[in-house]
Amino acid sequence: MVDFLRDFIKVLRSSDVRISSSETLDAMKATSIIGFEDKFLLKESLSQSLAKSMREKEIFADCFENFFKEDFMNIDNASEDKTNKNNITDKIFDIQSNEDLEVLFKSSDKTKLMTALAKASDEVGLRNIKLFTQTGMFTRKILESMGLQRLNNDIFQASKQGNIEREENLKEIKERIRLEVKDYVEHQLKLRTSVSGKQLREDALAQVRLSQVDKSDFVLMTGIVRKMAKRLIALHSRKKRKANRGVLDVRSTLRVNQQHDGLLFKTLWKRKKVDRPKVIAMCDVSGSVANVARFFLMFLYSLSEVLPNIRSFAFSNQAGEVTDLFNTKDIELAAAETLILHGGGSTDYGQSFCDLESFIENDIDRKTTIIILGDGRSNFGDPRTDILKSLQEKSKRIIFLNPEPKTLWGTGDSEMTRYAPYCHKAKVCSSLIDLEKVVEDLLRYSF
Amino acid sequence: MAKAKLSSTKNSKKDIELIQGKFESQGYICNNQIATAIFLSQKLNKPILVEGPPGVGKTELAKATSGWMEKSLIRLQCYEGLDEAKALYEWKYGKQLLYTQVLKDKLNDIISDKAGLEGSIESLHDFDDIFFSDKFLEPRPLLKAINNEKGAVLLIDEIDKSDDEFEAFLLEILSDYQVSIPEIGTIEGKVKPIVFLTSNNTREIGDALKRRCLHLYISFPDAKLEAKIIASRIPDIEQDLKNELVNFVQNLRELDLKKLPSVAETIDWAKSLVLLNVKSLDASIVRETLNVLLKFQSDIDAADSEIEGIIRKGNA
Repeated sequence: MVDFLRDFIKVLRSSDVRISSSETLDAMKATSIIGFEDKFLLKESLSQSLAKSMREKEIFADCFENFFKEDFMNIDNASEDKTNKNNITDKIFDIQSNEDLEVLFKSSDKTKLMTALAKASDEVGLRNIKLFTQTGMFTRKILESMGLQRLNNDIFQASKQGNIEREENLKEIKERIRLEVKDYVEHQLKLRTSVSGKQLREDALAQVRLSQVDKSDFVLMTGIVRKMAKRLIALHSRKKRKANRGVLDVRSTLRVNQQHDGLLFKTLWKRKKVDRPKVIAMCDVSGSVANVARFFLMFLYSLSEVLPNIRSFAFSNQAGEVTDLFNTKDIELAAAETLILHGGGSTDYGQSFCDLESFIENDIDRKTTIIILGDGRSNFGDPRTDILKSLQEKSKRIIFLNPEPKTLWGTGDSEMTRYAPYCHKAKVCSSLIDLEKVVEDLLRYSF
Repeated sequence: MAKAKLSSTKNSKKDIELIQGKFESQGYICNNQIATAIFLSQKLNKPILVEGPPGVGKTELAKATSGWMEKSLIRLQCYEGLDEAKALYEWKYGKQLLYTQVLKDKLNDIISDKAGLEGSIESLHDFDDIFFSDKFLEPRPLLKAINNEKGAVLLIDEIDKSDDEFEAFLLEILSDYQVSIPEIGTIEGKVKPIVFLTSNNTREIGDALKRRCLHLYISFPDAKLEAKIIASRIPDIEQDLKNELVNFVQNLRELDLKKLPSVAETIDWAKSLVLLNVKSLDASIVRETLNVLLKFQSDIDAADSEIEGIIRKGNA
């Protein structure tokens, strides 16, 4: 049974459920107490020891139903009835791998065939199947391991003896077994690869340049950004700092000052302050960055989920605030509406900075971080670096994220080389991985 | 061996039914799932992390368990800023200071006949453990649970409200059932306590903690179970009203509400209906008492237009 459990856990892992070895041990202990006879009990106890969140429990339920399909339960019951050995592993090892396929197929006990199948697939390493192109290969290997050779010989013999009826009969058996095995292999493939394929795709997408992402991948991409944001929330939303005012914490003060002979040398306070970073983000949604604007907005939206104190602006030829939009609407709607309201125009960084300054005049202080997302191409208009300079002086820091590679900065109408000196950080940000790094960096150091 | 295995399943099934029965005797109606969790946690010696929407009886589960096991319930309510000193132990600083003051003369006597600083310190060394002994130790819930001679039921309530650091600090206790006090050493309990952790999912619990626990998700009960719960909590409720109100709440949960009515609220509602001498549900009485069931004005407004429909559906 250990094999079955190990296999099942492997399936769970490939379906994106994280299971540690200690949890595996728990599951084994639990099953050794519970036994395998009662499906409901087995499901419950495995679920409690392996799946540790609502999402995981849902995946678990699916996997369990798929994995412990009726075949397995039948085997168990049948073996219980017919033999004294109800332990499936014992039974598997009883069957010789080269048992006569014909006998196996004709015997009324279908479970025998299934166990032989399970054993054969174990031998050929079916659990490592990864691609659908491997189905044929594994089907053949399993058939061979189950004794296809002998069946072929029998067919050959029959045809040599001119026994047409037997020959036909055997051929039919061969075909049906082949189908059975193929079904089994396909089922296993589905079980093991449905999620790992997606994982592969997600990993690749995270590294692709934002401007190159295909439209059809938008949905998947939104999912990734969400995931990223969620992880960041979990990591950073509860940062706290001890405040140095409030009510005296007598206990800790006494404890700390014991080393000073009870003199109140260092005082500790009960109040703790939750760090609430203050961020102002502005995002270029003009034609020149049309390809990436969507992702910038997506990112901005996720940021507004991570950070409570964020004001978001979008601009092309002038800037407008979209904070409310982001707070009230769904990500898709909010992004689309922002593009309609503020997008499309020809970029004017000078005017947009000017607008931004008037918007945030009263809100900006030494704790504020300003994030600018854009390519810095201003159509040869006045770049107004003076405003950026004054913003830099008033704020804690300015981060400029540019989707263009550094070699293009300053070419044509790009004002990036002029802006960069007034930014605490000017970085290339062209893929999701870059974005994530920036946010982590932001949350770790700036507040 | 085969036989032993077969009987082990039957035995465990029997045990689980037994547990269910014991819960029922405490007035806590639970399904198979919950009973299985308790059974496994006893067998594997593992804490249970209970998650689920508010008001489905997570805390109640621990209380009922302590009830039928006849073990004392020790409860630790988590909140932001909860630390070791409040959860595990604390030295009685006041007492320590007071005793040193009172015993000043005695101390003088002890060191007066010693020559030099070294001798005095040497003789003080023989006594310094006195002030850091059990007598000056103020046990907090965790230490109390571990020290309990008969074993206790420890309820760590709303672990998601505590800080990450506290969660990390719990790891040692939950995996080994022991605590280290630097001045005294490691304290290990004679009987391992039964530990429940509850969470409302306001934040994700760390993987390390989850790994050490069995995970039980309690969702809203189905109509049958809920009716049973109501019957056990309010024995004098009439059969018809009970079925009507359970159906109503079940249907209400299908609406898109900010906060779905919990079992606790169903019980409250049933109690108020009994108090108001209601024999059968109608739209006006539901409207008047809906605030017992729903706790947001927006939810009440949303449900208002659906009331007639739901009552009709429930009666059909």
